[in-house]
Amino acid sequence: MQSKSSKNLAESPKDMTEYYKHLSLFWTDIIHLMSSKPQALTSIGPMRAFAANSKKIAVELIEINENLLGFNQYISEYYKQLSSTWEVAQKKVNLKAPEIPQDVEQIEAMKRIWIDIFDNDFTELFDSKQFGENYGNLVSKELELTKHWNNITNVIYNQLISLAKKKLMKCIKKFIH
Amino acid sequence: MQNESIIDPKIIEEILKFSKNVIEAPKFVSAPDEINLEVTPHKVVQQIDKTRLLYYKPITKIKHKTPLLISYALINRFHILDIHPEKSWIRNLLEQGFEVYLLDWGIPTSMDKYLDFDDYVNGYLDSSVEYIKNKSSIEKISLQGYCTGATIATAYTALHPENIKNYIATAPVIDVWKDTTVISNLAKHMDVDKMVDTIGNMPPEFMYYCFSVLKPFEQGIEKYIKFFKNIDDKKYVDNFLRVEKWLGDTPPIPGELFKQWIKDIYQKNTLIQNKMHVGGELIDLKKIDMPIFTQVAIGDHLVSPECSMPLHYAVGSNDKTLKIYPTGHVGMIASSFSQKKVLPEMGEWLAKRS
Repeated sequence: MQSKSSKNLAESPKDMTEYYKHLSLFWTDIIHLMSSKPQALTSIGPMRAFAANSKKIAVELIEINENLLGFNQYISEYYKQLSSTWEVAQKKVNLKAPEIPQDVEQIEAMKRIWIDIFDNDFTELFDSKQFGENYGNLVSKELELTKHWNNITNVIYNQLISLAKKKLMKCIKKFIH
Repeated sequence: MQNESIIDPKIIEEILKFSKNVIEAPKFVSAPDEINLEVTPHKVVQQIDKTRLLYYKPITKIKHKTPLLISYALINRFHILDIHPEKSWIRNLLEQGFEVYLLDWGIPTSMDKYLDFDDYVNGYLDSSVEYIKNKSSIEKISLQGYCTGATIATAYTALHPENIKNYIATAPVIDVWKDTTVISNLAKHMDVDKMVDTIGNMPPEFMYYCFSVLKPFEQGIEKYIKFFKNIDDKKYVDNFLRVEKWLGDTPPIPGELFKQWIKDIYQKNTLIQNKMHVGGELIDLKKIDMPIFTQVAIGDHLVSPECSMPLHYAVGSNDKTLKIYPTGHVGMIASSFSQKKVLPEMGEWLAKRS
C-alpha cells in the first residue's frame, strides 16, 4: 500500500519535507517494534508495563544496596568520632573535678567545667579535617540514596497517575453513556 | 561512720526548685507560637516574587535626609532586628530620626530553586534601592547589611557605588579562609552540586544541623537549664522565647544561590580576592569608595571577626571606620548592649553623613 506522501513525491518542496518526515517516522517505529519483541517475551500479556517498571525499580534497589555499604562505613565513622570525643572529654572532666560536689557552688563549678570542656573538644572535632571529610562523604552518600529513592517513587508515581487517568476516563465514559 | 559525705541541703532545695519550675513552666510562659515578633509598625511598599520591601512608619520627626535600607541575612527571618520593643534595632534607628526600610527576602519555595546571586543583588536589592531613590527623589541612599545580607550588600555596593551614599557592614561574611567557625570546615568538604541537584533548595533542617555544631553544649543544654532556672523572671523568659522562636524559623535557601555561596564564597573565597563575578560583572571591593562603617563582634561564633574585618582593609574608601564590640553575633543587634552602645555609635556616624 503506497502512502500518500510517496505518491506525491515529485510535486513540491513541501511534499519533500513531508516525505522525509514520514520516512524517518516509519523506520523509527519499525525499529522500535522490532526491538521490543525480545523484551515482550519476558513479560506476559497486559502486565508488560509493570514488568518494565519492576525492572527499573530492581536496578535502583541494586544501586541502593551498593551505596548503602559506603553510607554505613561513613555513618559508623561519624558516630565513632562523636563517641571518642565524648569519652576523651569526660575523662578530662573527671581529672579536673574528681570529687562529688558537696554544695551548690561546687555543682555550678562542675557544670561550668563540663560545659566548657565538652564545647571545646567538640568544636575541635567539628573543625577537624577528618570530621569535615567524613561528614562530606556521608552527606554525599545520603544524597545518592535519596536520588535512587526519588527514582523509585517516580516510577511508582507514574504508574499511579496512569491508573488514575484510566479510572477517571472510565468514570467520564460511564457518565457520558 | 567516718567517711560519710554530708550533702548540703541547698542542693536538694535547688533540685526541687528546678523540678517545680519545669513542671509549672507552661503556667507562667507563653508558647513560642503565641508570641508576635514584629513590634514596629510598617507597611509593604513593594513586593517582587517572594521579597517584600518594608517601610517603617516614623515615630518621630525625620531628622536625616538620606533614607537607610537594611539588607537582612538569608538565614533566619528579619524579625531579630525587631524582636522586642526595648531591643529593636529598627525602632532605635527610627527614634534617632532615620527613615528606615528593610528588604525581607521572604520564604523561597521549590519554584525559586534557580534564583542566584544575580537575582538577589542586581534584581531584588537593586529594585529596592531604585524604589527608595524615586520615592525620596534622591540620587543615593544609605545601605546596611547584616551577616550574609551584608555579603549581598557588599557585592551590590561594589557593583553600584553610584547608588550608595553610606555603607554599614554588620558582621559581614567576607574572608572565609580566615573564618574560625566550624561552618567553613563543613562547607569546604561539601559536594554542593550533588546537594542542589538532588534536593533543590537548601532545607532548614540542614541549617539547624549547622547551628547544632556551634557550641553544642552551651546552646543545647546550659541555655535551657538557665531558662528553667529563671522561669520566674518575666523579662528574661520573654526575651528568651522571642530569640528561640526566631532561631526556629529558618527559611530554605534557593539552590543556585546556595551553590554559588558555598563554591564562590566558602570554597574558593573569591570575594575578598576580587575574583567573584555576579551577573557577569567582576566585584572589585576597591570600588567601594563611599563612607563605610564595619561592625564586628569579638564573641561572634557564627561569623568570626577574622572573617569580617578584612572588608575594612579591602575597600577603596578614605572615610572608613571599624568598630569591634565585646558581644556576640545576635547580641550585636538585639540586646541592651546594642541599644546602649552599638546603635548610638552607628547613629552618630550615619547622622554626620546623611
